[in-house]
Order: sequence, then structure tokens, then C-alpha cells
Amino acid sequence: MSIGTPITRIEAPSKVNGQAVYTADVQLPGMVHAVMVGSTIAAGRLRAIDTRAAESAPGVLAVLTHRNVPRWHGTPDDLHYVEPRFPLADTEIHYHDQCVAVVVATTREQAAYAAGLVAVEYEARPVVASLDAALPTAHEPVWRFEPLFPSVVEVGGPKEAFAGSAAKVDAEYRTPYHSHAPIEPNATVAQWERGRLNIHKTSQDVHGDRRIIAGALGVPADHVRVWSTLVGGAFGNKTTVWPHTLLAAVASRQVGPPVRLVTTRKQVFTGHGHQPPIIQHLRVGADADGTLRAIIHETTNGTPILFDDPEPTISPSASMYAVPALGAYVRVADMHMPAPALLRTPGDGPGMFAVGSAMDELSYALNLDPLELRRRNHLAHHPLKRKPWSGKQLLDCYALGAERFGWDRRAPRPRAMRDGDDWVGFGMSSAQRLEPHTAATATVAILDDGTAEVRTSIAEIGTGNLTTLVQIAADGTGVPVRRFGIVSGDTDLPEAAPTHGSRSTGSTGTAVHLAAQNARLAATRLAVADPRSPLHGLPTDRVGAADGRLFAVDAPERGESYQDLLRRNHVKAVTEEGHHDPNAKNQQFAFATFGAHFTEVRINRNVPRVRVTRHVAVFAIGRVLNPKTARNQAQGGIVFAAGQTLSEQLTQDPATGLFVTPAFTDYHVPVHADVGEIDVSFVEEPDYNAHPHGAKGLGEVVCVGVHAAIANAVYHATGIRVRELPITPDKLARLVRESG
Amino acid sequence: MRTFDYTSPRTVDEAVRLLADHPGADVIAGGTDLVTLLRDGIRTPTHLVDVNGLGLDEVSWQPGGAVRIGALCRNAIDDPALGRAYPVLVKALRAGASPQIRNRATFGGNLLQSVRCPYFRLPEFACNRRTPGAGCAALHGDSRHHAIFGTSENCIAVHPSDCAVALLALDAHVLVQSTRGTRRIPVAELHRLPGRTPHEEHALRRDELITAVELPAGPFGAHSTYVKARDRASFAFALASAAAVVAVRGGVVRRSRICLGGVAPKPWRSTAAEEALRGRPLDDAVIEAAADAATRDAQTRPDNAYKVDLVHGVVRQALTELREQS
Repeated sequence: MSIGTPITRIEAPSKVNGQAVYTADVQLPGMVHAVMVGSTIAAGRLRAIDTRAAESAPGVLAVLTHRNVPRWHGTPDDLHYVEPRFPLADTEIHYHDQCVAVVVATTREQAAYAAGLVAVEYEARPVVASLDAALPTAHEPVWRFEPLFPSVVEVGGPKEAFAGSAAKVDAEYRTPYHSHAPIEPNATVAQWERGRLNIHKTSQDVHGDRRIIAGALGVPADHVRVWSTLVGGAFGNKTTVWPHTLLAAVASRQVGPPVRLVTTRKQVFTGHGHQPPIIQHLRVGADADGTLRAIIHETTNGTPILFDDPEPTISPSASMYAVPALGAYVRVADMHMPAPALLRTPGDGPGMFAVGSAMDELSYALNLDPLELRRRNHLAHHPLKRKPWSGKQLLDCYALGAERFGWDRRAPRPRAMRDGDDWVGFGMSSAQRLEPHTAATATVAILDDGTAEVRTSIAEIGTGNLTTLVQIAADGTGVPVRRFGIVSGDTDLPEAAPTHGSRSTGSTGTAVHLAAQNARLAATRLAVADPRSPLHGLPTDRVGAADGRLFAVDAPERGESYQDLLRRNHVKAVTEEGHHDPNAKNQQFAFATFGAHFTEVRINRNVPRVRVTRHVAVFAIGRVLNPKTARNQAQGGIVFAAGQTLSEQLTQDPATGLFVTPAFTDYHVPVHADVGEIDVSFVEEPDYNAHPHGAKGLGEVVCVGVHAAIANAVYHATGIRVRELPITPDKLARLVRESG
Repeated sequence: MRTFDYTSPRTVDEAVRLLADHPGADVIAGGTDLVTLLRDGIRTPTHLVDVNGLGLDEVSWQPGGAVRIGALCRNAIDDPALGRAYPVLVKALRAGASPQIRNRATFGGNLLQSVRCPYFRLPEFACNRRTPGAGCAALHGDSRHHAIFGTSENCIAVHPSDCAVALLALDAHVLVQSTRGTRRIPVAELHRLPGRTPHEEHALRRDELITAVELPAGPFGAHSTYVKARDRASFAFALASAAAVVAVRGGVVRRSRICLGGVAPKPWRSTAAEEALRGRPLDDAVIEAAADAATRDAQTRPDNAYKVDLVHGVVRQALTELREQS
């Protein structure tokens, strides 16, 4: 069995020796370069744009503006484009650094220089530059596409239940603009060949992207091919088509040769997704013994001027704890901000910061251990779907995590644990993420040279999914991992589930699992029907496969290799397809992944920066396909969320709405020195109700609850409850004088 | 293309001659700051004088105990004798940037780096430092990082260097050279407060080149430390920092330097804190009084009032460390 073994990522050597190819590495003959010019205001319109100097600069081949950009096809809404306005469609400016022109030149330097020569005259309009300023416009969202979650949930009379509760928490929690901040900038290389379009792009979903690109350019989808080679960090910001991709394609059509457009670091921060600022008002009521009576969760997030994009922060309040009365209300408020993008972990990330913090506040109000409060409100079923959870070993996660962490050493009161000049605090939170199911297809081919291959359009975004898919296929066929290849990231391949929303393992993994089983069965049928095969005449269910060989289950020495079987029969390859049908899951259950986070923070009384010195996390994700990639992904997700909690913040200038921190210098992701000891464990029980291979997604649940666990530990250490992220030293500065 | 001439002189005389002959020239050494400013169009020199071929990378101990650090010594400098004689300097250097940047950045360049104010670094915003008379967008902007001492209505940016704060605490001088000869400038007089001319960042004349930094002979300096508060554990500019040097004799502080970083447009000496220490034992009450004095006369804005507490904290931490060492 290869599943369950800690195999190193199959693409790792290429990343170390430099052979790995990312989108911006793609070289095409005659390729030229494009650079986008961004608006220097956040609200208003173009009064005039003068491109003459840019056009006559050395090497410049074309300058695209609203005046000469070719007409787009379709409508943004029909195509599910990222915003309801195609690039350069008109003279309106809705956010900072919005693309107002594209310069195409022979070299990137020439294009960048000429971009600086494009003279733009603006007519500025009043700007809504913060969520606070936008609040007067807060409203129930009008969904652009089909609703993904309700805007209002009311069950059991929440206001009355809250009013009658013995213990209450009533607090507001805020999260800022958080950027995805991938190392790899978004990029596109576009090439036209006799009416067909080849697109190399940074993508988490090549098939989804193709539908948008083909539609906007008025080209049949089968005339467009999209590749996504290795992706250098995505976290959701490569889930869609951004303006630069469409612009690179029209630029190439206009000038002829292939066009490469690599966004600048600043453009990654300003115009390629983020999680918007969110204000969540939580009211939680409980009986004196901690039994929850009511949760009222009102959430308002900033949304672009042109459309409503609600952030599903109500997810945890609506599904995490046993509460008889629930009120959840989603609103959005109009701001001059670019289109958001799903950010690991949408909804549950910021939502659990608020719910997990409020539960902690409630525990102090009740004088009850915060872990015990969660145990007492444990839920065995999904409260709205009224179905039992499948694979919910959350109580086991609590128990194992508490033991590994040493939770019993926690002082019950805040600001009670001190070590020299350090205040020490313990905090915890639950984690939960619904398990999605999306259609996915893959093929597995067993070849006559003794090798085998997985083919599916999935993108490798750094999670190790190529490796785990190969492990699934290896176990399904009996061909060892070392003889398996995988071809991915190409619309000419069978359509995988998008590589976001924790779908790879569950949905694409199931497709590969089924394809591998089908391929093995097809080869088995060939063998048992072949009089020259030692397996001739056996029922197919009495034939096993291992080490690249089919054998009789009842007499393992009787058998032959796939290679011998295929060569003798002059079959180059046995290729079979597997398809994951989202409706194939067991409909009696609700599905999610679960976990618990326990954190120790230390805060020096003189230099009050939060240091996460120890973090223990335990997850229940069904079967663990690869302990090495799983642990790595969990640790990465915890660091990712810790950065959002402690230092990351994309700041808007309050007067103009322009971003003031669009660079790694100022947008502070964690550095190695910030990362303490991270202990990851799994409560492993295959969940065959969810998927036939028993495994579920991991990439998002690992982030959920980290924010609250840290914020709760900060309160425990200092007695200061920080309800607004990030928890930077300014928010704890008063500790200096209070602990003299 | 926006072009510039590039010259790589072999001698200091040649370098300063080039600076004298080209009014639009900039000096490039490590390039860790200048290259980003060039890329973003914040600086547009007609000429780049690359001084990396000039040597100037030695640490030389002078007769009498002073030490001269060549202007092109890298910030990654690892000299045990320097660490013993001036711990505050080595700690400040280690607190700055990242190992990769310290391997490139030089002493001279570190002292002359530009402010990190985003309103200066992003051409979308008005900045008096970048364009005299243009106005200061930071005044009505996000001021979490901005100064609480020494500001004017024209500029509220902070000086970003850690190294310069330590050098100020050590009473260091910079040695500069031009075609007219050489001169010494106290670090205390190297950087200018913004006043009405925030674009005049330092006292160097346009054609002068820093050739070395000189630290006075010990033992003052040996009992010293640097404490920095920042947003993450490494690779972030100071929200507030303190360089502290004390000389204790007979149980009381005879002489001290308390200098602050991250809170003023130049490295900021707190004579009030030094006054609070003079002639007193380094005990809890005196440390508290000095930390409090260091915050005196701070002029805060709503977003940066927290820096008062951080100054208190870093000074207290620095003095507490020095007390525990003595």
C-alpha cells in the first residue's frame, strides 16, 4: 500500500534543481511583453488619456485603452467573470490601480517604461475608503449568481432566547483586508494559432477559466486550450480569470506574436483578490451550566461598488454548536475596492475568529473551562440539514489535543501565568469545514512498458496533490508509485474538480480512485479471457494486483505482470476513466472535516508582540493519504492563519481609498523566526460515507480556528481582549504600563 | 527608456570628482534601498556612481582605541572585537532587515537610506520629501507608523535605520570626502529634521561621499544594548526602538546615552531620560523614571499614540538588561 506512507512530493526534485516551470517561465518563439497601467485614484472617471508618448517609445507595439480595446463578447454575468465589467470597458474608475491601459512592447522593460508615459487625466469623485464609511449603505446582498448560502437564518426565536439567557456575550469582531500574498505573481502567456488560442496562466481551475476566456473573446471553447503548470502559491487568488488574462489574449490577437503579461508585485496586492474587511456582531446566550440558548450573528463585509459579494462568515454559527435558537444575518456595504476572491478559508476563517472568540468570552462569563464549554455544546448532527455528521471525531480531537498540549496546566483566570518578563497564555478553538463535492473526471492508463499514468486537469498549487493522486492510483492498480507518472494542468485532459475549496482529495481523488479500479478491472478481464495467461479462467474478483503484477488471490505465485500481459496481447495501454458524481455521496449524512487548535502565546511586558511559541492541532479528515504532505499542509495552514491573526493587513488610505501597503515590505507575512513549535496529529478513521477511498479535504480546515485560538490565548495571557485583527503590538501597548 | 550613465570608479578621488561633475548623480553601494526607489521612479538620477570598487571595507582600530568602520563594510559585519566594545551597534545591525539584505547593505548606505513612509514610496500620493511643496498625504492618512517627535506640518515620517540609532548613542562621527577635502560630521548632526525642507534629508553636500564611520574609544560603549519593537520577529522596521549606553561607577550612573528609533525623522536622543539616570542607581524606580522621561513631549496622533507606551517599554527593557549585566 502506498496510501498512508510519507512519500516525498513527486515534483519536489524539479523545484529544487530549477527545472520546475511556472507560468512566467514559459517561453514562446517571438514572444513580446505587456504591462498594465493602473488608475491612481479609487473613484471617478477618466477625463482624458494620452497614449502618444507611450506609442512612440522604443519597442512599443500597441497601447490598448477603452478607446481601442476590441469589443468583448458575452456578458460578464453570463460568463461568471470576476466582476460585472470587462477590462477597459468604459471610463469609470471603481478602485485603486484599476487597469486603464495596457502597453505591449518587445521587452518587458520597454513596456514598463512606456507604461509610465501614458498620461491620464482623472475626474475624481467622493470615495468610500473604509468599511466604517460604507456602513450607511449596508444591505442584504443581491446575489450575482445563484445563492450559495442564505442571507437570513432564523430558528427558534433567537432574540427572545438571548434576552432570557443567564450568561451573555455581546461583542463586535473585526477583520481587515487580508491579501492572499502568493509568492508567484499572477501571470498569463497568450498565443494565437490560426484562430485557436493557447493560454498559459496561473490557475487553480483551467477548465473553469477556459469557459470565461472563450466566452469573453467570442471563440468556441474547444478552440481555447489553457495550461496551468506548477503554481507558486494561490490560496484562492488564482481561482478565477482576472483582467490581465483577457488583456494578454486581446493584445496578442492585436499585435500577432505571443504576449506575456506578468503582474507586478503591487498589482498582485491591489487587483488580484483579497478577503474584504468584515465586521461581525455576535450575541451568544447560555444557561448557567454552559448550555447554549442562542446565537445571533450579524455580519457585514465590504463589497465592490458594482456588485454584492457576501462573505459566508455565518457558517460556523449555523453548524458548529448545539444551539436551539439561531439568528444569522448577512449584509454587505459598498466600498471603492477591487473584486475580492475566495481566500483560504472563506467564511469559516473570519467566522470562526468571531464565534471562537465569543465562545471564549462566554467561558469566562460562566467561569467554565473553554474546552469544557465546547464539549457541552457538541453536535452530532448538522443542525439545519438535520442529518448526522459522518466521521465527526471532534471529541477525540479535543481529548488528544488537550493531552498533547498540556491543557490541564492552564490557570483558570487571565493574566495569571508569568515566566520572567513574559506573560503566558493558553487558548483553544474548534475547527470545522464543510466537505464539498464537485464533479471530476480522470483517466488512468496502464502501459505496456511497465509504467502507468494519471491524466486529469488538476493544478498543483503547492499542496502535494499530484503525489496523493498518484498514491491513490498506485493502490488502485497495483502499479508502484515510482512507475507512475501524472499529467495535469491542461484543458486537453479530463476535467478535474477546481483546485480550491478542499476538493482535490475528495472529488478528483475519487475520480482517480475509480479510474484506477476500472483500469485494473479492464486489464484483469483481458487476463482471465486470455488462454495464454496464467490467470485464464479465474473470476475477476479472485484476481489481485500488486507490484505491477496481477495474481490469483488464492495462489499469489500464480500470475503475471501487466507488462507481459499487455505486450503479449499487443495492447499499448489499458486506459480507463473514472468520474466522481457529487450526488454519489451517502445522502443520509452531512459531511465536514473537524479539528481542534491549542495555542500557547508569550508576550514580553516591555516589548508586547505576540509570539506563538507552541501550537498543537489535531484533525479528523478521514483517511490520511500521505502523512508527510498532510502534516506539511497543516503546518503551512496554521502559519498562514497565524499571519492573518498577528501581522497581515492591507491598509487603505482613509482619505483616498488608495492602498498604502501593496508590498511585502509592509504587508507582513510571517517570517521563519515567527514560527514556533507546531505539533500536528490526526484522529484517523476512514470516512467511506464521504468518498470511496475514505479520505477528505485538508487544505482549509487547518486554518479554521487558529485566529480565535491565538486571540483567546492573548486574552488569557494579558487580560486584554483584542477583537480586531491583526493583533499587532499597538493593540497591546498598554500592557507596558499595566505590568510595570 | 529612462536612461542614466553608470560609472564604477576605482578611487575615492575619482568618485567624488564624478559627483562634483554630475549634479544629477546618485551613489549606489549595496543598492538595497536605491534599486527599489529607481524601480518605482521615486529617484531619477542622470548618473549612478557605483562605489563598490573603492575598498573602504575595513575595520581599523586607531591608536588610542577609536575604531574606524569603512563606509562599504556590510551590515552583516561580524567582528568579535566590535561586539565586545560596542554591543549596541552589533545588536542594532542584527535587528535590521534580513540576513540577505545585511549581506548587501553598507554602513554608508544604511545611514543615508530614505524614509519608509508609504506616502513617500507610492507616487500616487503627495509628498513634500519627494516633491518640495507638493503637500503631505500622510497628515490625513494612516499614521500608525509615523513619528511622535521632531515632526513638522510638512512631514511626519520616521527615519528607518537601526544602525544610526546605535551610532548616535555611541557619539559616532561620519567621515566624508569631496573634491574640497575631508570633514567629520557628528551622527547627531547628519540627519535633518523636516521643518520646512523635508526634502533636505541630511547634512551631506551633494558632492560628498561617506568614507567611514568613526566610533570613539571605550570603555563608554561597552555597557550597552539595543531593543527593538516591531510587528513580527524579524525583517520589519521598528515601531519603536531604544539604544542605551550606561557607565555605572560607585553604584550610580555617571554617564548615559538613551537614543530612540522608529519615533522621529532622525535618530532621537532623549536627554530627559539621560537626565533621569544621572547620579542615580540603576534600580526599578530609576529605570521607570527614565523610561517615562523618554516619552516626554511626545506629540501623538490617534493612530500612533501607542508608540508612547512602546518607547516606555523598550527603554525599560534596555535598561533592565543593562542592570542585569552589571
